[in-house]
Amino acid sequence: MSCCNVSDQRPEAHDLTKRINVEDKRLINCNAVDVNQLMPIKYDWAWEHYLNGCKNHWMPDEVPMQKDIELWKSNKLTADERRVIMRNLGFFSTAESLVGNNIVLAIFKHVTNPECRQYLLRQAFEEAIHTHTFHYICESLSLDEREVFNMYHEVNSISDKDNFEMKLTSDIMQEGFTTDTTEGIQTFLKNLIGFYVIMEGIFFYSGFVMILSFHRGNRMTGIGEQFQYIMRDESIHMNFGLDLINGIKAENPEAWTPEFQKEIDGLIEEAVELEIAYAQDCLPRGILGLNAGLFREYVQHIADRRLERIGLATKYGSDNPFPWMSETIDLAKEKNFFETRVTEYQTASALSW
Amino acid sequence: MINEQLDGQLRMATLDPLEGKQFQVRKRNGNVIDFDETRIYLAIEAALKADAELDQDTPANETMQADAQRLTQAVVERSLSHASDEAPIEIERIQDTVEDKLMEMGFRGAARRYIVYREERRKARAIRGDRTVDGQPQEQMFITLPDGGQEVLDPSRLKRDIYGACRGVEDKCQANDLFDETMRNLYDGVTTTEVDKAMIMSAKARIENEPAYTYVAARLLLNQIYEEVLPKFGAPAELPKVHREHFREYLQQGVAAERLSPDLLKFDLDQLADALDLERDQQFAYMGIQTIYDRYLIHIGGTRIETPQYFYMRVSMGLAVNEENKEERAIEFYNALSSFRFMSSTPTLFNAGTLHPQLSSCYLSTVDDDLESIFKLVADDARLSKWAGGLGNDWTNIRATGSHIKGTNGESQGVIPFLKVANDTAVAVNQGGKRKGAMCAYLETWHLDIEDFMELRKNTGDERRRTHDMNTANWIPDLFMKRVKEKGKWTLFSPSDVEDLHDLYGAAFEKRYEEYETMAEAGEIKLFKTVEAEDLWRKMLMSLFETGHPWITFKDPSNVRSPQDHTGVVHSSNLCTEILLNTSADETAVCNLGSVNLTAHLKDGALNEELIAQTVRTAIRMLDNVIDINYYPTPEARNANMQHRPVGMGVMAFQDALYQLRISYASQEAVEFADHSMEMISYYAILASSELAAERGAYQTYKGSKWDRGLLPIDTIDLLEQERGGHLTLDRSSQMDWAPVRESIAKHGVRNSNTMAIAPTATIANIIGVSQSIEPTYKNLYAKANLSGDFIVVNEYLVSQLKERGLWDAEMVQDLKYHDGSVLEIDRVPDDLKDIFRTSFEIDSKWLIACAARRQKWIDMGQSLNLYFDLNQVAEGQKTGPALSDMYFFAWEAGLKTTYYLRTLAATQIEKSTVNINSYGVQPKWMKSKSASSEVAPVAEAPKACSILDPECEACQ
Repeated sequence: MSCCNVSDQRPEAHDLTKRINVEDKRLINCNAVDVNQLMPIKYDWAWEHYLNGCKNHWMPDEVPMQKDIELWKSNKLTADERRVIMRNLGFFSTAESLVGNNIVLAIFKHVTNPECRQYLLRQAFEEAIHTHTFHYICESLSLDEREVFNMYHEVNSISDKDNFEMKLTSDIMQEGFTTDTTEGIQTFLKNLIGFYVIMEGIFFYSGFVMILSFHRGNRMTGIGEQFQYIMRDESIHMNFGLDLINGIKAENPEAWTPEFQKEIDGLIEEAVELEIAYAQDCLPRGILGLNAGLFREYVQHIADRRLERIGLATKYGSDNPFPWMSETIDLAKEKNFFETRVTEYQTASALSW
Repeated sequence: MINEQLDGQLRMATLDPLEGKQFQVRKRNGNVIDFDETRIYLAIEAALKADAELDQDTPANETMQADAQRLTQAVVERSLSHASDEAPIEIERIQDTVEDKLMEMGFRGAARRYIVYREERRKARAIRGDRTVDGQPQEQMFITLPDGGQEVLDPSRLKRDIYGACRGVEDKCQANDLFDETMRNLYDGVTTTEVDKAMIMSAKARIENEPAYTYVAARLLLNQIYEEVLPKFGAPAELPKVHREHFREYLQQGVAAERLSPDLLKFDLDQLADALDLERDQQFAYMGIQTIYDRYLIHIGGTRIETPQYFYMRVSMGLAVNEENKEERAIEFYNALSSFRFMSSTPTLFNAGTLHPQLSSCYLSTVDDDLESIFKLVADDARLSKWAGGLGNDWTNIRATGSHIKGTNGESQGVIPFLKVANDTAVAVNQGGKRKGAMCAYLETWHLDIEDFMELRKNTGDERRRTHDMNTANWIPDLFMKRVKEKGKWTLFSPSDVEDLHDLYGAAFEKRYEEYETMAEAGEIKLFKTVEAEDLWRKMLMSLFETGHPWITFKDPSNVRSPQDHTGVVHSSNLCTEILLNTSADETAVCNLGSVNLTAHLKDGALNEELIAQTVRTAIRMLDNVIDINYYPTPEARNANMQHRPVGMGVMAFQDALYQLRISYASQEAVEFADHSMEMISYYAILASSELAAERGAYQTYKGSKWDRGLLPIDTIDLLEQERGGHLTLDRSSQMDWAPVRESIAKHGVRNSNTMAIAPTATIANIIGVSQSIEPTYKNLYAKANLSGDFIVVNEYLVSQLKERGLWDAEMVQDLKYHDGSVLEIDRVPDDLKDIFRTSFEIDSKWLIACAARRQKWIDMGQSLNLYFDLNQVAEGQKTGPALSDMYFFAWEAGLKTTYYLRTLAATQIEKSTVNINSYGVQPKWMKSKSASSEVAPVAEAPKACSILDPECEACQ
């Protein structure tokens, strides 16, 4: 499949039969419609995700880091607390690039729908912003950038997660890979699930909790705020991914076999163990409010919700052991304008005149 | 089957000498049970399976079963060889044996699994705080003491504290759960302060389910404060006595540490100590006490020396030092503060009674068009900021980009680069390390740099022309609004070409502005730009929508209705758009603030006039005292304040008062209440100022003021209509007999050029736990983020009404969370409640404006009025931009002097993690388009798998 399925033959002038029919649009394997024609839109959800992404635009340097710098340079953080922060920066600093590269190098080419591609381009840009965020944090806190950006091959618990993902990327990049066959569609779905459900839906989540637990104690609030912005973006990424996955499933039901479902279930189970191992590596002894043992429950809890959302049965039945996440992320936030920046604005393009 | 085999094997084992005897095992919790080989077998088999990476559900193969039996037999033999008839075998001993045998017999992998499993279990027990039958901790967890030493954590102390804090609310709060949750948050080596924190954090996280937990968390923190401040005491009953007796010592400590003023020691301290009412600490909700603990209570080297009641008394003493009957006055002030009837502003609470009594909230200054004046302003800003003042700077006089500079014969870069300097000053000087420096820059709408000014808060563009840490506001003349309305043109000038324009207002401004326009057309003014007024207005609104800035404030009503029009011009408002005072090169306007808590004055469904009169009289006296005690960071500030003595008394808890009266904010009744409550407060505020004039004399520049001319705020509305030439919808009716006030003014004058302004009360309303200022409820359930962290706020009025109707349950909490604190979409909530409990974005802001307009009838300065705008609430088919424009025109025509932030909502949210969101559908709430995900139905949960590491699984014990 080429990047753009445009026929070499020039259409006759005024040949209205060559105009695209919206019902011919397909998420993958679309040969009937030119991928350069956005309108008419068939998948409104993809366009809506795209618009929401645009309205949420932010840049990392909007967040003041002064308080974080003061705390980081003080002696008020324990070695364990520093380890938690460093390991998370180490993971996220490269993970965002892995996701970006997977979009651009692996997924993009095979998604044959222009409105979905529009979102993928937006998402790829957001991944760049997130990587920028970790650059900004490293610079602000004067961290050893070589240490942070090398963790993904120096720290086992991080490289295990990353290798898990990179394998899924290379499966798609193999020469001759195509979504024309059922196996091909399955491999492609596996990649999408690996990135949207597992990477952005599971692998990011213990890190989020750890960083937010500092935020909860009113410490490292600059990084905490950056993470809140990132999580807001990631929520859309994941929802787009779920819509894409569920959409491909619906359009290609033959690929969603019981055996394949079992394989996906196994993939998620494997990911859960990797994530738990990662959490325990970050927190060998626990810090206040974060006992390494609780992460097993937490990761399982998250995984169950992900399973549900792609139509698979839940398997762990664990509760969220961190009820305080309610105040940190679930509840609408009213900020005191004098004291913290307000993140609730959207860009003016949302106004119509 | 396995068990049968096992029994057979064990019977065959050479245990003959022991046959017929029943041995017993003592478990960790002290319980004694019969010895049962099966348990050992199962544990070993599980370890073998885990090592072979086998699912625990998969049956073991024959080899594995045989190995497990062999091992079990060896363990049983060894264990029983230690056993005696008298003493049970310790379970730990058996487990040690399992470990040993696995190693000895070559099952290293399984041994490793087993060891890991035991360790996990040990931790889990420690975390749960499991105890033995005689109450000893089963596993010991160590805590780290402040000196670095360690001791065994004693959960009974935690239990005592938690149960104590739940006293009186046991029907609503579960002390047991709270204790468990606290233990789960600890880790081995946790510090003592972290243990204290963990208790509070556990209570705090439960507030969303049951508001009463806020008082539990508050008491936990109060206990910690008493421990930190007071000398050691035994029984809780001794606390009031110890608290009273320590008061003198506290003051001495503070004076010795050079934190408190030695003047405080000149009071009759016994009399004051007797007036302290420790019971009032029980009024605190959690956010209030945490806020004062973090930032208001005076500390020495990080250790607090004040309790909340000492703190209120210290502030009161600080404000009464110059009074004749200073003890009586201090007690009068203390009673007003500590009963939450009136609260002084933050700088007063921070600094009263200290060696640096900078007690004012707000400073306003203007700048002239020369470098010396500009950098003097920046230096002044730094000094004022250091002492916790908020700043409003008028920058309109600075010549615009491209205007000629005589001295160098060059061209000016305009006002923007100087604003950047001011912005960076605010960052560098962070209010003495207590809160972020805060300033607002004002620019009048005809300034040629106005378009760049609107971009100052944008996220993109040249960073040298961005001020992310400074607020900005438009100072808009009425003429501009009229031009927008008639779709006319608007001309932008450099102030260096139109020097008198900034000082003119009303009809005189209009006349002069049009003359300048004619001059520009005739080519007599070279530097100007003509734009469509509507285009500029649109730009203002778009910037406001996207960045919340610049705010919209109106120059003409602010000046026309100012009592001090005889002695200068109001050039801008302040940081919070409620102060409107004259500024000049010699005068930096100063205002000290305080707010009356409306809910504390409601009795039987109405405001208690007598109590209002009493509180307001005390409040005005406190505010007036500030002027003489205040430390002035600059001579211009002192000069202005001594001459005019303005004070700004406001109100708070307006929304809470409406709840108590069962009125919806979106109703005509609310508008009427806003009107009458403000009239009453205004009446007594002006009267109190006049009474003070009788006692202490009128302010210096009283002669010629509107007061002197017999013009009260209510009398100036007609003036505004005249100057504006219509465009005013404001009501002018009155309910009270104002003759006594007018007579008193005619006789004595007034003590203060201005008496009223409604401040945001962002922090002080949190301290006393009421709704902020005149704000509607943000959400019925939300998190408030401030310098002390995030706090869950749940609308207690809503909860109590839902409880009355039996509707408050876990499902309701989930629904409220899912709907972001709105009740409108929850079917179970009855319609009458839905109307009363509309939240900020669900109340048409026109109601907020209508209420504010009625208040504005009575107020001699302004109000910090936030407006709310949710794109999704705009009627279908209507454009959103014009809807926003209408809202601001409505505000202008209602006669408002200023507006404050425009609050909007983000397009999407972070996925919620403590709500079962999938049960509301796989697609997120905000999505309007359906996708294939909407067809996905959650699948029922699969049975739990048995895992060797599952700490709850009894099979392996």
